[in-house]
Amino acid sequence: MERKIIDTDLLIIGGGTAGCMAAVEARERNPNMTVTILEKAHIDRSGCLAGGMNAINAYINRGETVDRFVNYVRDDACGLIREDLVRSQAELFEYAVKKVEKWGLPILCDDAGNYLPRGRWNIKINGESLKPILAKAARQAGARIYNWVVVTDLLQDTGTGRIGGAVGFSLRNGAFHVVRAKATIIATGGAARLYRPNNPDDAAYKTWYCPYNTGAGYAVGIRAGAEMTSFEMRYVALRTKDTIAPTGTIAIGVNAPQVNAAGERFMATRYAHLGGDGAPTPYRTYGPIEEMKAGRGPVYLDTRGLSAAQVAELKSAYLDMYPSMVLYWAANGIDPSKTPIEVQTTEPYVVGGHCQSGYWVDVNRKTTLPGLYAAGDVAGGAPFKFVSGCWAEGILAAREAGEQIKNTPPVVFSEAQIAAAQTRAFAPFERHGKLRYGLRPVQLEARLQKIMEQYAGGRATYYEMSEAMLTVARTEVARLPAECDQMVADDLHELMKAHEVLDRVDVAQVLIEHLIYRKETRWPSYQTRTDYPERDDVNWLKFVNSRRNPKSGEIEMCVRGPDESP
Amino acid sequence: MPVWIDPEKCNGCHGSRQPPCLRMCPGDLIVKDHAANKAYLKYVNDCWDCLPCVKVCPEEAIEFHLSPQFGARGARLIPHVQKTNDQITWESIDSAGVRETFTIRTKLMPVALDEALNDEPQEAPDFAI
Repeated sequence: MERKIIDTDLLIIGGGTAGCMAAVEARERNPNMTVTILEKAHIDRSGCLAGGMNAINAYINRGETVDRFVNYVRDDACGLIREDLVRSQAELFEYAVKKVEKWGLPILCDDAGNYLPRGRWNIKINGESLKPILAKAARQAGARIYNWVVVTDLLQDTGTGRIGGAVGFSLRNGAFHVVRAKATIIATGGAARLYRPNNPDDAAYKTWYCPYNTGAGYAVGIRAGAEMTSFEMRYVALRTKDTIAPTGTIAIGVNAPQVNAAGERFMATRYAHLGGDGAPTPYRTYGPIEEMKAGRGPVYLDTRGLSAAQVAELKSAYLDMYPSMVLYWAANGIDPSKTPIEVQTTEPYVVGGHCQSGYWVDVNRKTTLPGLYAAGDVAGGAPFKFVSGCWAEGILAAREAGEQIKNTPPVVFSEAQIAAAQTRAFAPFERHGKLRYGLRPVQLEARLQKIMEQYAGGRATYYEMSEAMLTVARTEVARLPAECDQMVADDLHELMKAHEVLDRVDVAQVLIEHLIYRKETRWPSYQTRTDYPERDDVNWLKFVNSRRNPKSGEIEMCVRGPDESP
Repeated sequence: MPVWIDPEKCNGCHGSRQPPCLRMCPGDLIVKDHAANKAYLKYVNDCWDCLPCVKVCPEEAIEFHLSPQFGARGARLIPHVQKTNDQITWESIDSAGVRETFTIRTKLMPVALDEALNDEPQEAPDFAI
């Protein structure tokens, strides 16, 4: 395969929400700095924002303060957050939102020109084109953008552990890209498709979280020995039935409460002590799960009685983000003002922007590996970041990386090290035609999802798990790396799918260890332990962290206090 | 099959090597049959229903259908991008044929019919846009 060598000051892996903002910030602060983005798809419509967004869900509205935001997020995360991280992102919401508005994002305003709130921490936008707006800003800031490059590994100095770039292959011509960088920001998003999805066949990818985000950023860090935090705080989302569209548009947008089949407002009656329909997010997922378990489902968001104008507004909001919701209502004769909207819960995702699974970072988003920064859904310790928090983290990481590169000579890598990375990248492709009975990525994905669904707290067990079940998951997933040695790919697209499996196996192994380690139930539904059903603040108001030892391959676990930082 | 490219309407964006629908798919699911000069959704089970391909098609050749497992019943949803790129008019046709439209402002970026493999850096950075 052809090899393409790129030298740059700053490498950004992932041209999404955080990555685009990081590129602009880096170039604005240091116009002489070269910034390179490696993007798995095309930067104009990649990742979580491909379809659009209808709200900025983390914003300090008029009358609110950063302090109150931090307190809210702590309560919503059942007591455990990295306050330094949540605070530092909140302080940049205004700066980031104003910037994107200047780039052309339509934000809804009242007659006086103030942003229109949607609930306490949200503002409404017409964000169908949010992603192309960000991409254009990154391009015009002078970032060098390489589309369709699938990153397979970080480049790491074997002596010091310093990260000096990354490698990957082009989906278009197979060229092996070697990017040597003085600093690297990882911003590839979280991980979907670890568990069996809600729907089969031609709706298997109708997931809430972007199905093309498969934990590559976590996996390259795990393989390089980065410390990770809170994988056990999975995200299980309450979403509309079938279409798996976000429910905040309805619940917050038009204040629709959850009701069960009998019409009971069960959040208000059973979870009043936690805030009813305003209970912490995990409980708003746990509540409906318990209703279904008890035979009181289906569960709905009660939209009955909405005015025609409200229904039109609701549909418009979905068209900016999840158009299939409007088509679903049209196909099934659903008028939200007459029929309540059925909801269901998704398969679990690992995502640091809603929950806090990801790299253990300091306040400047520096990871435990020198030269590597993390921003957005791959960064841990700061839940409730959503779009604007990802922007804030991209800004913070770019600022710190920009300072670091001034004093950093590039790392020199040996040909042997680069050749080994290249061999690993193309292995499933090279095996093609050489094995009597090769395994396809889609087959191994099914194996992984089956294990996770049945033994690691998937939908099959109402997300519940115990040490006994998780131990089975640990044993079974541990067999997968050897099976992946039999994985073959016919073409470059399938090679990408093969790496998505390899990455998710590494993520799943770390996730299972985290789930085993936390011996309490802190976030019901995200992390429901039948053998430790209570929240235990005396022993567990702390972070569970892990590091896969690059030499031994063992996943080493530890705990960190809420005020600790790398 | 959530997204379907009508071969009667698709003109392959003339001689484009990488037509807009192919480039804008975040899952790399659309390919072009260069001999037939038609684009098609190759990996039908891997579609997220996110619709950049539908919105970007200059011929409105890409149709969005609900998966039949959700009770599609012939309903359609068609985004009409206005030439000024600042509005999309969505046309919804329900299973009884009742039509509803929604016009929503946006800021679509012009998308070229073809593009080289990788973007090269701009000569002079422009932070103002």
